[in-house]
Amino acid sequence: MSAPAIEARLRVRVGSGAGTFHLETRFDLDAGILVLFGPSGAGKSLTLQALAGLVLPEEGHLRVGGEVLFDSSRGIHVQAHRRRIGYVPQHHSLFPFCNVTQNVAFGLPRARRHANDPRVRTLLDEFGLTERAGAHPQTLSGGERQRVALARALAVEPRLLLLDEPFASIDHEGRAPLRRAVRELLEVHSISAILVTHDLDEAYQLGTRVVRFERGRGVEEGTPDEVLPHPQRA
Amino acid sequence: MVEDWFPVLLSLRIATIAMLVVVPVGLALALVQARRRYPLRRIVDALILLPLVLPPSVVGFFLVVLLGRRGPVGELLERWLDLRLIFTPGGAVVAAAIVALPILVKTAQPAIEAVPADLERIGRSMGLAPLEVIFRVTLRVAWRGVLAGIVLAFARATGEFGATLMVAGNIPGRTNTMPLQIYAAYERGDDAAALGYVLVLTLLSVAVVIGSSWLSGDEDLPR
Repeated sequence: MSAPAIEARLRVRVGSGAGTFHLETRFDLDAGILVLFGPSGAGKSLTLQALAGLVLPEEGHLRVGGEVLFDSSRGIHVQAHRRRIGYVPQHHSLFPFCNVTQNVAFGLPRARRHANDPRVRTLLDEFGLTERAGAHPQTLSGGERQRVALARALAVEPRLLLLDEPFASIDHEGRAPLRRAVRELLEVHSISAILVTHDLDEAYQLGTRVVRFERGRGVEEGTPDEVLPHPQRA
Repeated sequence: MVEDWFPVLLSLRIATIAMLVVVPVGLALALVQARRRYPLRRIVDALILLPLVLPPSVVGFFLVVLLGRRGPVGELLERWLDLRLIFTPGGAVVAAAIVALPILVKTAQPAIEAVPADLERIGRSMGLAPLEVIFRVTLRVAWRGVLAGIVLAFARATGEFGATLMVAGNIPGRTNTMPLQIYAAYERGDDAAALGYVLVLTLLSVAVVIGSSWLSGDEDLPR
């Protein structure tokens, strides 16, 4: 049996002194979307930051695509900018000084940061942003902003995408089509993702596997049907 | 009007050279104070602010003690680099830099603090090294506040008087900056000579106030 594509065992210390507590998470993912599900304040976002290398875990092990990115026992800590792990937060997701094209092309080498780059053109097209290529973030709707943020994250060809409640700032009608589009595009680009949410519908619609979080710990892992309460009973 | 332009040019030269040190050091301090949490942070904050709060004569006194030929820094500079700062334009540069530094840090720091940390995280996740994140993300969002800080600090360095008088003296043709020239002209009752320099400094200050107010007035930040 081959090892899973993503293997995480992390313990993160939060705060200092008397207010210290620990986040603990462990999961494996072969492909698809892993959902970190739980109430606000359960430690899901901080877990994402630890996976991205933006927060240093106290101990544990993280392997993505065969490469060990963190191993406390061997002193390995690959820095965030060398991990090739994309990150899309809920708020402040776009660079305010860049238009749509410049945002999407932001992480590419200097010579490729223009609208004619094939990857930029393809992503603008795939996310339905071609018409808005010159628009600035302040003039975009919530849905458009998150589409730009997703396109930008995919532009640098990450091996894993971290999505921190990316649909939370979008109105209810706009969420379902964007979720479908994200799922399809992740499949097209063959990229696994870890999605943080406290929205049950979202967890069911997008999750291949789910880790349920409670008070800083991943308490249960399995398929959406095994782990999540049924939407109609919830 | 201004008959001798040497003090004007000297003041601008001293302020410019001081800013060559103040800008990188001040930006580094502003970034550290805005983004890092470490045990002595509040004490470092107070030390940065000190030259702004202390009377200029006290700042000048400390600098004379430190930079004098028998001072801990002055003695080393003279022994190793054959460099003397007291009663030289170099001393005026040090005095200008010390009083301008807190202005830059205290103006740039809140602008950097207002940059959403998520934007920097995105930059890191897209392959930008920490220094690249500072230049391509943080400073591009905070540029108005940072530039306002640089402009204000330059103005403070140009107008520095008390500490400069103590450290560099008022040697005609060597260390007589505009503020010292105004003081000297006033002392000898030559108001007309003082007035020219007063006008130059006033015009510079008005331009700085308008410029910094414009710079800090319209942030293109997501709120």
